[in-house]
Amino acid sequence: MNTAPFTDPHRPGNGPASLFDRVVCPDGVYCEAFAGCGQPRAQWQSIVAAVNAAGPELLGQRQERVKRMRHEDGATYNPFDAPDGRGTPWALEQIPLPLTVREWSRLETGLIQRARLLEQILADVYGPQDLLKTGRLPSQLVFANPHFLHTCHGVRPSSGRYLTLYAADLYRGPDGNFRVLRDYSASPVGLGYALENRIVISRMFPELYQRTQIRRLAPFFQTLHTGLTQRSALRREDPNIVLLSPGPDSPIYFEQALLSRYLGYPLVEGQDLTVRNGRVFLKKLAGLEPVDTIFRHISDQQSDPFALRRETAAGVAGLIQVAREQNIDIANPIGAGFAETPVLPVFLPELCRSLMGEDLLLENHPAWWCGHAEGERRARVQLNQLIIAPALDRSAPFDSDLLAAIHSAPFAFMAWEPVRPSTVPVWENGRIHARPALLRVFACATEEGFAIMPGGLAITAADTEALLAGVPERLHSKDIWVLSDQPVEPFSMLGGLHAVAEVRRSSDLPSRVADHLLWLGRYLERAEGLIRLLRSVFRRLSSEARPEDIPELEFLLNLLRAGHTIPALPEEGGYSSQELEAQLFAALYQEDRPESVIAILKRVQDAARNVRDRLSRDSWRVINRLEEFGDNPAADPQDQLDNTLFTLSAFSGLAMEGMTRSLGWRFMDMGRRIERGLHQISLIREGLPRVCAVSQNALEALLEVSDSIMTYRARYRTAFQLAPVLDLLLLDESNPKSLAFQFSQLSAHVEDLPRQNERRFASAEERMSLAMLTAIRLLDLTGLACSSGSAENGEPLNTFLETMEARLLEFAQQVSAHYLSRVTATPHFSVRLGEREP
Amino acid sequence: MKYRITHTTAYQYSEPASLSQNELFLTPRATARQQVLQTELVFDPQPQYLHRRIDYFDNIAHVFMVQQPHKALSLTAVSTVRTGRAQDPDAASTLPWETAVQRLRAHLQPEELDASQFVFPSPMILFNPAILDYARVSFPPGRPVLEGGLDLMGRIFTEFAYDKSASTVDTPVAQVLATRRGVCQDFSHLAIACLRSLGLAARYVSGYLETLPPPGKPKLVGADASHAWVALYVPDEGWVDLDPTNNVLAGESHVTLAWGRDYSDVAPVKGVVMGGGVHTLSVEVDVARVG
Repeated sequence: MNTAPFTDPHRPGNGPASLFDRVVCPDGVYCEAFAGCGQPRAQWQSIVAAVNAAGPELLGQRQERVKRMRHEDGATYNPFDAPDGRGTPWALEQIPLPLTVREWSRLETGLIQRARLLEQILADVYGPQDLLKTGRLPSQLVFANPHFLHTCHGVRPSSGRYLTLYAADLYRGPDGNFRVLRDYSASPVGLGYALENRIVISRMFPELYQRTQIRRLAPFFQTLHTGLTQRSALRREDPNIVLLSPGPDSPIYFEQALLSRYLGYPLVEGQDLTVRNGRVFLKKLAGLEPVDTIFRHISDQQSDPFALRRETAAGVAGLIQVAREQNIDIANPIGAGFAETPVLPVFLPELCRSLMGEDLLLENHPAWWCGHAEGERRARVQLNQLIIAPALDRSAPFDSDLLAAIHSAPFAFMAWEPVRPSTVPVWENGRIHARPALLRVFACATEEGFAIMPGGLAITAADTEALLAGVPERLHSKDIWVLSDQPVEPFSMLGGLHAVAEVRRSSDLPSRVADHLLWLGRYLERAEGLIRLLRSVFRRLSSEARPEDIPELEFLLNLLRAGHTIPALPEEGGYSSQELEAQLFAALYQEDRPESVIAILKRVQDAARNVRDRLSRDSWRVINRLEEFGDNPAADPQDQLDNTLFTLSAFSGLAMEGMTRSLGWRFMDMGRRIERGLHQISLIREGLPRVCAVSQNALEALLEVSDSIMTYRARYRTAFQLAPVLDLLLLDESNPKSLAFQFSQLSAHVEDLPRQNERRFASAEERMSLAMLTAIRLLDLTGLACSSGSAENGEPLNTFLETMEARLLEFAQQVSAHYLSRVTATPHFSVRLGEREP
Repeated sequence: MKYRITHTTAYQYSEPASLSQNELFLTPRATARQQVLQTELVFDPQPQYLHRRIDYFDNIAHVFMVQQPHKALSLTAVSTVRTGRAQDPDAASTLPWETAVQRLRAHLQPEELDASQFVFPSPMILFNPAILDYARVSFPPGRPVLEGGLDLMGRIFTEFAYDKSASTVDTPVAQVLATRRGVCQDFSHLAIACLRSLGLAARYVSGYLETLPPPGKPKLVGADASHAWVALYVPDEGWVDLDPTNNVLAGESHVTLAWGRDYSDVAPVKGVVMGGGVHTLSVEVDVARVG
């Protein structure tokens, strides 16, 4: 292929070398940055100058910073995103793609027309179906099309809008004209990434960004928000809008969390919503709260397991029925994916004339439908020159014998002309490359028609094939700058809406989130308790004394055995030191042992992942550091445990500081108190029979694993004695490790939990926590002492602790039943397909 | 013939179910051969939400939800209908099947356009070469379309064993063809798959069949069951109901509930239940002659 450099290497003047000099732009494609004569196009001049002025070193550093900021900024941190950027959807690259006012306004007009047209088609297909009846839309496009959902036919969106958010992929052809490659109408993705790109790039190039008149993105989000609010507000003041996400397993959860924060819509998953009396409700701690609008980020097919008969946890059973009753505004309505039918664009020029009496302004990428004789002929004759693609179902498997497949069902195929997108300069591996690019642009419905976001994602890949395959993780993106000929107003929503979202969040929160936070607290505490215990064991094993000369070692090992962390002693004899070593190693690193350190840390991370939009960025970093545990099993276990304990303490500190005393924090802390209470009870119950047998060292060890040894020394200044030790571990409300402290904290928390009715009587959990607190305050430890190797009068205490353990478990169940019972573990429903007909 | 049909579906749950959502196709629709005199739905417990609609295929669908915890749920549909005799088209004088396929492709008449939606694969009916091969035997070139349809029905009736243990509610058609056994739902799906692979239009009909006791024995109440068969589109003639399970044209003893592309469009009772633990289900159908 003939190639020409981006710039003319023999340009007059022989000025200093440009970074763009060695870049070649393939023949026969449009070059975004440079005109034919090797001069940067007008809109590129300042960017080319800025890139050259920066030089390779600074560009390299910037690219690193871009990568980091993209990860660390915004709403949340995506732990799936590898730090090197692999696996990041649409990894951001620093050089923006500028478009002139003229170019943009043509695009804008064309996109608005196209969005209007697609919305009219949707309204017809899900309504009177005149296009079908008059043959303007071939029958196969409806009847054989998996994007057409029969069950949604006749559902009229309560807002009257069949399309709220629309996106399109465009490319610029060799002639300089933009063409549409694909339409997105079910739940278009990329909006959040476009926003995040802008935030990062505007900080990265503050001068260039401020100096150049670039149209801002924020007003578009304001428009989208206003549109959604106004529509729902017709039914109710201050409507409840939620963003429905498939959850943290979605590869683009980052985007959903960012949009949720930015727009101020609570981020919910299918299991957070329920349908009652023909309406949708959000399950919150204080009860069910009606939902007016769903900003949908799950696919059409996943939306309603009831109506669509799919076992999917992402959707809301009964949602389509609610839509049918016009009791919810869904953006976009379920079934809107019809407008994504790959072959539909082929019919748009005709449909545009017939429905709107206008010519289609934006060209399509040239393609033919094999359902037409002409299309089938082309596909057959030019099989190797054209791209054969599914016409209806993009995910349809391809037959090995393509010609036979086309022959037997021509309507299911289409033929595309090869795509030759324009190239853009991309900074990669220390130099600039020319890469093919697509533009993803967005439109939203307003009362006055569609509005186009002035900007978007420029998507690039190493070659056109990868670009068209469209796997976000293998693509890069750039910020699109739409230049303005008028001064732009500084405008950002990051301040205002962000605050609104926070206020709403703190007053109440979804039960699912509270449940995960409670368990996060419990696992954190469980990890801490276990690590303290193991650390005490390893500290003794690494001392110079022989194990059999350490009297309290067996005492500590027995505590581990009681918690099933290491196997119980056999009936006769014991374990060799090698066996013990292997057992302790497994207690640290064996992932399939539920009580091993690594398994519990994994549960901490899982619970945290589910609430990551509630955790600060710093907390996230700390949680991610837990991953390092187990990376190096050869390291000194004591160091490993010390480091991990340090990390956990850092998290606790950040949670105290960062989470304020919101409901979320209360649930996490309740989890910690419940777990610590249970841990303390079991330590003392297991330890009591043996604590007197092996000298004072066992009492010291008990204080050590309870993290109370300093407090004891400060308070009693005496040798270790049973009664004072137990007093400190059980009754001393000023010792944050004592059982009484846990009870008093629980008691304080439950008083502040939301309740549905005016408080008249204490709730069950309030009475239960108060009963526990009172009981421990009244506990009498006098007479308890070590005498001839055993604890004298220990039995009443044992019975008391047994009761407390049962009550604490009962309390935990009560909290779950009252606040969290609407949350059930997966799978939370079963789909009945019906009885077989005989 | 006038019938009173009582169809009871009862669920028992091992643990309370907190929410149960159901869609019913249990109310018979009026057809050219069938008059619906009276229909009624009875629930226990009473649902908090009930909604009736006409679906995409003009069937009568109900959605109901029970929203308080319940350990049992039963619903009974009672309908009175009057059915007419089977159609009696002259099979030999129907169009050659290839012409029927052409007519459906061109779909110049609104009725043909409507029928053409039953030509394509649907959620439970997918095509494969074996199905096409099986269908071709009944449709040599130029054969009148209804003759072919009757022949196909006869072959399925004779070559396939009725076997309740051979299939489940979502057994794929390919498996039915491979094992040569199944129940009325499977035979209907297979017949539809055969007809559609040729380019003909066929739909799934859900309903009831009156069963007559052996001579001299009294009829047992509740021993009937729901039934399913196939309707084949014959241009200029209309839809002809074929019952491959019994190798007959659907007649006076066939009561129609609803039709669609396949079972999944018209399952008499289907739904989603939250909680509930293990379910047990019992279904009782009684088709009784009245008047």
